[in-house]
Amino acid sequence: MGFNSIYFYDSLRSGIQYLPNTFQLTFIPIVIALILGTVIAVIRVYRIPFLAPLLVVLITLYQGIPLVVALMIYHLLFIAEFNDFAAALHLDTSMADINLIWIGIFALSLQATCYMEESIKGAFFSVDKGQYEAGYSVGLTKLQTLRRIIIPQVIPVALPMLTNNIVGAIKGSSIVMVIGITEVLAGSVIPSSKTYAFFEGYIAAALIYWIFTILVEKIAARIEKRGDKYRRNLV
Amino acid sequence: MIEIRNAKKSFGKNEILHDVSIQVNKGDVIVILGPSGSGKTTLLRCINFLEKADAGTLTIGEQTVDLKKASSKEILEIRRKTAFVFQNYSLFHNKTALENVMEGLITARNVPYEEARKKAEDTLAWVGLLAKKDAYPSQLSGGQQQRVGIARAVVLDPEVILFDEPTSALDPELVGETLAVIKSVAERGITMIVVTHEMSFAQDVASKVVFMDGGFIVEAGTPAEIFRHPKEERTKQFLARIISAENMYYI
Amino acid sequence: MVDLFDWKRFFTNIPQIVAYLPVTLKIVFYATLFGVILALLVAVIRIKKIPILHQAAGIYVSFMRGTPMLVQLLVVFYGIPILMQQLFNINVNRWDKIIFVYITYILNQGAFLSEIFRCSILAVPTGQLEAAYSVGLTQFQAFRRIILPQAVRVAVPSFGSDFIGLFQNTSLAFLIGVVDIMGRAKTIGTATKHVLEAYVFIAILFIIISLLVKGAFYLLDKKLAYGR
Repeated sequence: MGFNSIYFYDSLRSGIQYLPNTFQLTFIPIVIALILGTVIAVIRVYRIPFLAPLLVVLITLYQGIPLVVALMIYHLLFIAEFNDFAAALHLDTSMADINLIWIGIFALSLQATCYMEESIKGAFFSVDKGQYEAGYSVGLTKLQTLRRIIIPQVIPVALPMLTNNIVGAIKGSSIVMVIGITEVLAGSVIPSSKTYAFFEGYIAAALIYWIFTILVEKIAARIEKRGDKYRRNLV
Repeated sequence: MIEIRNAKKSFGKNEILHDVSIQVNKGDVIVILGPSGSGKTTLLRCINFLEKADAGTLTIGEQTVDLKKASSKEILEIRRKTAFVFQNYSLFHNKTALENVMEGLITARNVPYEEARKKAEDTLAWVGLLAKKDAYPSQLSGGQQQRVGIARAVVLDPEVILFDEPTSALDPELVGETLAVIKSVAERGITMIVVTHEMSFAQDVASKVVFMDGGFIVEAGTPAEIFRHPKEERTKQFLARIISAENMYYI
Repeated sequence: MVDLFDWKRFFTNIPQIVAYLPVTLKIVFYATLFGVILALLVAVIRIKKIPILHQAAGIYVSFMRGTPMLVQLLVVFYGIPILMQQLFNINVNRWDKIIFVYITYILNQGAFLSEIFRCSILAVPTGQLEAAYSVGLTQFQAFRRIILPQAVRVAVPSFGSDFIGLFQNTSLAFLIGVVDIMGRAKTIGTATKHVLEAYVFIAILFIIISLLVKGAFYLLDKKLAYGR
């Protein structure tokens, strides 16, 4: 059928070898995005003056930039300016020492932060204002209310949207191929450069990503079910 | 003449209708009473095939169909002879009051637009809502929405109008005006089957009262017979509970 | 920052890049037009659970939503020639590369939009359908006149986000050799050895597009409020 199974398996194996890179490119940005995203969302929810509107503008604008464009720009800036930058800070490293993967992680983190912040903010707004008031009325501070009352209610609502963001991060990690980082996508077609079996190579890559996202969605579904049980008991 | 014979319906293991037969003459106003779960709403919904019964026949005028095996064509024909008023009004959210009333005429019965518009406006005026003809359901109160729902049913000039607890979702102050409109529908001589808990309405407007319980028709008769001289024990118990509750309300 | 970013180059690039904007717009246009049709079909198949087609549609949607856009582009780019050769004995070497781009984006949009449509249709209360049947409408009439308009209203915000995402996704097409705005930036880079200005301009261009689209959908959303 024009599809060579042997080449397919070679690509599959090669791609899987590079899964650790893809994991780095997915999970580090996700963790950073969760933390930053929550902080920014809280700033927006509490309408902290100056910071909140500034962040809204920045995020709205940054969301308009496609990932690949941002990646290219960061890469160019890095190559051109890093050595000067390090010298200014009196750091002892040179450009050659820094693994390119960090540029990818940087770009993906910013991207993920924007999208996660939107999801978390949406989840916050779905919590009734009365909940905050109830917390204050029994003497809790803002931080205590946030931690003990609000956030536990935000999490079940945010979970589906966050799953979407995580799947997005997994898919986004494939784009770093354009600046020369080798992860699952580039890794899957390493054998293809010899055999010209590119189709088999890319199908192998697709399969790896597909299984990865299906696993994430299944795990998320399990967690959501658990979360729901908790909420129903409260009522 | 409308007749249902031997209707049966189960939902999973629950048999909701056990073998129900009912006969309705032209101009009759049948009120079906009974506790919740008695099958009265299910019976109503089987008539216009919103539920598919497991057995039985339905006769409207000259046409008889099998409640279980009716073809899509037959179902459509029955639906074009009947009209339904929903407990939750179910007005089309994306259409104005006037458009709601017109919809059945122009789309299902191919009535020309101008003629449909005139009929719809007349019917809306008859329920007292001509001023609101361009309002969307979200802009109307519950009572107003239900009156539009009644207009939507009446304008179709059906052989029978089916009312499924038309006032149960309304605030108490609005129940009266809606019942008044339903009464005037009856006074127009339209055949009606009404499922309701409003006892005074049943006494006042019904030509026949049917008491259902547990999927059976327990007793049927004129309002005077059922309310003042109930024969069956279950009927007596039901009436005792309902009427004392109503009396308490008026205290 | 000497010689890294030059304003003169920035401004000379602008007309050259904008000249290729129509290519990007064409991708978005075809992807949306055929994607919507495909999505409606898939959504209806999945709602009515038509046997066999339902499962096939499920796999299709899962694949398109679970794999990266870039991978899909490459799979289509390398796979369609093989498919065409084996099944129909057609040689696609003459095909313009943009065709592969259109196919990928149509398939991709078809999947994502089908989910949006499916959820919006299911979000319309069943009472609306029952009311439609009760006044004598057929299934098709009820769908077209009552359900669909209300489903559209529900779908608009998600459709807007997806539409912006589509625009952003077009930035990947140049990786299989298509010359759109990104492709033009690349050629400018190879020709002049300076490419930062071009990418910065493209970033700004995309920001402007995304703001315009967001604004348009905001207005559309308000217009469809049906009196609320």
